[in-house]
Amino acid sequence: MADIPHDIRHCCFRVGGDCFAVASTGVTEVLRDGRITRVPHAAEAVIGLLHLRGRIVPVIDMRRRLGVIGAASIASRTHLVIRLHDDWYSLLVDEMLDVIEVAEHQIEHPSKPSADTPNDAVIGVFADADKLIYFLDPQRIVQPLARQREHFFQKQGTSHGTV
Amino acid sequence: MSDNREFIEEFLVESGECLDQLDRDLIALEEHPDDPQRLASIFRTVHTIKGNSGFFGFSKLGSLTHSGEHLLGKLRDGKIRLDDRVSGPLYSMIDAVRSILQTIGKTGVEGEQDFRELAQTLTIVAAQDVTESEPDSAAAASAVADLAPPVATPPAPQPVATAPVATAPAQPTPAVESPKPVALMPSSETSIRVDVGLLASILDLVGELVLARNELRTVESTNPALEGVIHRINTVTNSLQEAAVKTRMQPIEHVFNKFPRTVRDLAVSCGREVQLVIDGADTELDRTLIESIRDPLTHLVRNAVDHGIEPPAERESKGKPRAGRLLLRAFHESGQVTIEVQDDGAGIPVEAVRAKAVARGLVDADTAALLPADRVLQFIFEPGFSTAAQVTSVSGRGVGMDVVKTNIEAIGGTVDIASHPGLGTTVRVRVPLTLAIIPALVVRCASERFALPQAAVGELLSLRADGGPRIEGLAGSAVIRVRGRLVPVIFLDEFLGLRSTTAARNNGTVVLVRVDDHEFGLVVDGTQTGVLPADADSRQPGTSGMVTEAASLSTIVVKPIGSLLAQLGIYSGATVLGDGGVVLILDLRGILRAADLPPLERRVEAVAEQAMAATESYLVCRTVAGRRIAVPIDSVVRLEKFASADLQTAAGKRLVRRGDGYTPVVDADSLLGVPAGPTGTAGDADDGSINLVVLDDRCGGIGVAVRQILDVAAAESMLQSILAATGVAGTLAVGGLATEVLDLSALVAATETIPDVGGSHAWYPSADSLS
Repeated sequence: MADIPHDIRHCCFRVGGDCFAVASTGVTEVLRDGRITRVPHAAEAVIGLLHLRGRIVPVIDMRRRLGVIGAASIASRTHLVIRLHDDWYSLLVDEMLDVIEVAEHQIEHPSKPSADTPNDAVIGVFADADKLIYFLDPQRIVQPLARQREHFFQKQGTSHGTV
Repeated sequence: MSDNREFIEEFLVESGECLDQLDRDLIALEEHPDDPQRLASIFRTVHTIKGNSGFFGFSKLGSLTHSGEHLLGKLRDGKIRLDDRVSGPLYSMIDAVRSILQTIGKTGVEGEQDFRELAQTLTIVAAQDVTESEPDSAAAASAVADLAPPVATPPAPQPVATAPVATAPAQPTPAVESPKPVALMPSSETSIRVDVGLLASILDLVGELVLARNELRTVESTNPALEGVIHRINTVTNSLQEAAVKTRMQPIEHVFNKFPRTVRDLAVSCGREVQLVIDGADTELDRTLIESIRDPLTHLVRNAVDHGIEPPAERESKGKPRAGRLLLRAFHESGQVTIEVQDDGAGIPVEAVRAKAVARGLVDADTAALLPADRVLQFIFEPGFSTAAQVTSVSGRGVGMDVVKTNIEAIGGTVDIASHPGLGTTVRVRVPLTLAIIPALVVRCASERFALPQAAVGELLSLRADGGPRIEGLAGSAVIRVRGRLVPVIFLDEFLGLRSTTAARNNGTVVLVRVDDHEFGLVVDGTQTGVLPADADSRQPGTSGMVTEAASLSTIVVKPIGSLLAQLGIYSGATVLGDGGVVLILDLRGILRAADLPPLERRVEAVAEQAMAATESYLVCRTVAGRRIAVPIDSVVRLEKFASADLQTAAGKRLVRRGDGYTPVVDADSLLGVPAGPTGTAGDADDGSINLVVLDDRCGGIGVAVRQILDVAAAESMLQSILAATGVAGTLAVGGLATEVLDLSALVAATETIPDVGGSHAWYPSADSLS
């Protein structure tokens, strides 16, 4: 790409053994702790709600979202709060890493985004000195987590028979 | 042009307000054609619009308002008088201006509409010089002339404070409004425009502050200085919160203001004479709700004018004043805003509604015959229901009342209707003060907490392993029996897929919930009891805590949960409680849909069933003469027993003193038309006392004296009204025996005609005779 995109700063974080990054423009803040309220019937990766200065923010467990095996204690992890259109989301990550500057042309894009796998949100890879950094698209992180009412109805329908 | 965009926006908003004001002023002027201040106000408003449209280069608007201003000038000078010939074109001008402004708002230009004809009409009307005016109005007009600058000149550069007000002795007040340049609206000094988003963020921040304050209060401190600071912060936070909440509020005026014009136009097109009375226009409610009630209320007003109020001739023949009275009234009541639309028209023909309901298959004829009038009226909320014989352009097409009801219920409100044939109809709309801050019941379920909007909550039933209400299985679904009704229940823990506890089923609480026309029970572990002491009286609307918590009813701030979770359809939002915990607000409508409860009853049957439910349980008594009678249990307030010596007589009525009031006493037998009992005056219970069944206010708060109270029992059969007799509504089987049901509606009338104590029915020794 000839033109240098203005959002070349990315926030890097660790989930499991891998390193991921999102564009820093969407990141509103990073916080350590927060009481999480469960949301029954939400997608598995949506582990609850966080109260953030008057705003109610859904918390997405990035371990579950990215299919990382093994659960880490929530208390030791970090909320990376991002903004997507009018909604805010908290990405629960294992650890915050550096903010890096990577130009668009340095990122390798997969030929075809892998749909329906935990990696469906990965839109590019950057080979840093010692590790690979996977770039995530916030929109794609959130999108598959939306549960339509129909989905919900089916679930209820089956469980209702056993009542 | 785009540079001007911001100014044009402002011009549009201001002009829109001007037009509303014009409508009101013009209507007021029609009533009092000689009110020079009103006329001056109209003149100024039109002049302002004209001046601004010239500034922005809107030539159509300019020439139209110029013609209007010219006509108003003639009016002001007393050259012509205000009558229908004049007011019609003026109203048309207001509409035309409004339409041009809307076009400008959408497209930025004036559009293709042609208003030359209207401008011409205005000019022609203005040319019809009548030059007939009283000295007074001429003097007044000259005062007005001083208030407003000459027609052709731009807004006066200097204030017109030098106007010789003293020369118009009949008009002492114009000076109050005059010392301002004409281009300014009178209210511009005490109010400013603020971005709604900014207000919302202030409200959010105040919410944050409240939470921090709550946390601060839990800090243990031995430092008296700190104690003082905490106390001050506490007080200030409470006041700040109240003030912040008030910024959301607007007077209902914003809706009511449109109605004088609407009613006038309707009255003209329907051939009615209507006197509109507006009361409580300063009643405040949430600005987001103001818009939601506009259309429903407009519909109700249309209905009242078109269907309710009769044509003037018909009214006169009925001995009513020619002009119908339409009352719009708003007031705060128990944390809600009540809006009444009341007309003194013909009322709704109950029997026609009943027949129509049967004809449309909403209810079968037998059930319909049993339904009380107020229940029958509910049918007009059915989709497509109209009893209007003729469809008019205004209303009667059978779309409407159901939409009104749906719209009002969508914002958590209710609609009631009461109608008296020949006297008029009252529609009562109740809406919450705000949607952002609602009273809610916080329940516990499987170690989580959830909030339920209080508006939907009917009552709470405690489940006890030992007797009391319990949950039963019915064809695979759980139900609970509530006063003879079967209500389906949903186990919240199971529904939400939470860790299921059998404890809830035995020791939990059932929250009875009504959504639209469905009632269901929600089984939870219990209700929330005080987490933190409430900051203020949390039941008091508009003033209280966003996050406070009283015993179990809390006033909560509804916050959006984002599109991701809103799509689930079972949560309507979330809130933050006083302890900082986030709690989901259940969307009961969504839960009802998702749970897909088995239909226990068709909807119409439900209506009939409710009607019957009111009379399902009876208090069974034996009268002195030995008749077995039944009284609907929900009409009974209390049972009393007193010595016959306590019975007094006043003004020919028998009374018994209770506290600081008297209960009128009638004998059950006399109501039934039974002649003087064989026992004569010894009509009391065996121990010389009298048993009294005290009825509620609907029945006049009367006490019915009986010999013995036998039982409370459910009716086993339908009311057989064929067997009705004097004072008897009918007969039904209670406890296996035929029992006469007292006709309570006849009771009130009957008490007026109960024979005097001295008559043959005087079975009780009166106080006089004992003394």
